[in-house]
Amino acid sequence: MKSQISLGRLTPAVVVVLALLLIWQFLSWFLVILEVPLAQSKIPYLHELALTFSTYSGTLFSECSVTLTNAVMGFALGALGGVFLAVLMSISKWVEQLAFPYAVASQMIPILGLAPIVYGIFRDEQISRVLIAAYMTFFPVALNCLRGLRSADPQALELMYSYAAKPWSVYWRLRFPQSLPSLFSGLKIAAPLAVTGAILVELMGATRGLGVIMLRNLYYGPSHNYMFWLTVIFGAALGILSYLIVSLIERMVTPWQPEFRKSGGDE
Amino acid sequence: MTLTKIDTPEIAIDQVSMSYQTDTAKVLALKDITVDIQKGEFVSLLGPSGCGKTTLLRIMADLIQPTSGSVTVSGGTAKEARLARKYGIVFQSPVLYDWRKVKKNITLPLEMMGLSKEVQEKRATTLLDLVGLSKFKEKYPWQLSGGMQQRVAIARALAIEPEILLMDEPFSALDEFSRERLNEELLSIWSKVGNTVVFVTHSIPEAIFLSDRVFVLSPHPGRLSKIVEIDLPRPRREEMRNSPEFYQLISDIRNSFEGV
Ligand SMILES: Nc1ncnc2c1ncn2[C@@H]1O[C@H](COP(=O)(O)OP(=O)(O)O)[C@@H](O)[C@H]1O
Ligand SMILES: [Mg+2]
Repeated sequence: MKSQISLGRLTPAVVVVLALLLIWQFLSWFLVILEVPLAQSKIPYLHELALTFSTYSGTLFSECSVTLTNAVMGFALGALGGVFLAVLMSISKWVEQLAFPYAVASQMIPILGLAPIVYGIFRDEQISRVLIAAYMTFFPVALNCLRGLRSADPQALELMYSYAAKPWSVYWRLRFPQSLPSLFSGLKIAAPLAVTGAILVELMGATRGLGVIMLRNLYYGPSHNYMFWLTVIFGAALGILSYLIVSLIERMVTPWQPEFRKSGGDE
Repeated sequence: MTLTKIDTPEIAIDQVSMSYQTDTAKVLALKDITVDIQKGEFVSLLGPSGCGKTTLLRIMADLIQPTSGSVTVSGGTAKEARLARKYGIVFQSPVLYDWRKVKKNITLPLEMMGLSKEVQEKRATTLLDLVGLSKFKEKYPWQLSGGMQQRVAIARALAIEPEILLMDEPFSALDEFSRERLNEELLSIWSKVGNTVVFVTHSIPEAIFLSDRVFVLSPHPGRLSKIVEIDLPRPRREEMRNSPEFYQLISDIRNSFEGV
């Protein structure tokens, strides 16, 4: 029964996707017969992409895993840093006033300019990628986490006060759990950004990673067109994947959030 | 019912005044309240909205400081009483922690007291039984009805075995039926626990049904206008709500508002 229902729900989505693929394929064919220059770089044939994929899937997956590993490390580093700074800022107005303008200003630096500087300093593609991914993660996480920590219900705080609770206990038992939904909004914004950041650094000179083969296939010209398209598609997929993974973790960590409550309680 | 008079009252409120400073004006919420509450007594603060009931309760709980006057709790200050965890507080809304299941909400204050897991477990079991929610201990708060959530809040307040239970219109968000049932349940709990209860309400029948004494407050500024002794026998029963004595008390209290 259940699976029938969900199949019924899935059908429209499947139809839409199939329709889009068909339209794509048709447009691709249309450009080719019109003899538009570089038709296949504009809208490539899907079956050509599939063919290229079947030949080079090994390369694609291994380069993706390099990129993903760096993005994940950077994401973890940035998220920890962001949470740490948010906690400090929520404890002390003074720290907030001191650090917040710099945190905002740091986001004004164009990432395209920052990446070569970081690379110039560390001279290590690995470290640079992780740092840039961390840098992109840091801000949305810090901002959202701070908002969450500040949003504790005044009466819930008074309750803690009436128990003569120690400050760390108020954080651990009230402020922190209460801030989790906000923190996860920040993490969900940050996860695809970390992937983008990692790919961006790879574009600027690295030996491994999705960004590297993306650039290489772009420069090699039309013959590598399909491979280029595949790297773009894989880049997007990595971003989506990172978002989905964070969403899944959120569901497991905070099943009590209103949006995850099963409708129609059993009482 | 015999009220043993002890030399030091449980709560002594002496010349308490409170004014709030707002952007535009100064609001005198309480003026010169002086009253004693005895150990083990059940008293209600009764009055229309805005007469300062919540303010007085919060001053007793050491959540806010009075502008002048003092509150003495079993010989010490209100702050000492709070730090000694003598207060259990129940607000108008349950204020349960969404991420904790019912049992964990009840053990919340116990965790902060550093009690062992076994003691926490034992007390939670007793309290869940007391408020009739044993079957729901592994539910999240949002899976319970409003009345059940408020019973969890009461259990949580009782968990620290408080000498003083402070309740601010705990049942006012509930329908009449749940409210009357919870009134009876509260009395049966109180008869077992035997602590001092200060109960805020704007319902005259509720105040009469529950209390040993009703402190009638009048607004603008909040003053203690009358203290009504409720000499209905205990245990109180549902039928008493229809007795002539009950109606007499209602009209007595109502009349005391007339002159305001
Ligand atoms: N934090 C506050 N700031 C300013 N005025 C307040 C505040 N709290 C209460 N008041 C005012 O004090 C008066 C008494 O309020 P309150 O104690 O909440 O009354 P009650 O609980 O009897 O309805 C009201 O006029 C209210 O507007
Ligand atoms: Mg009130």
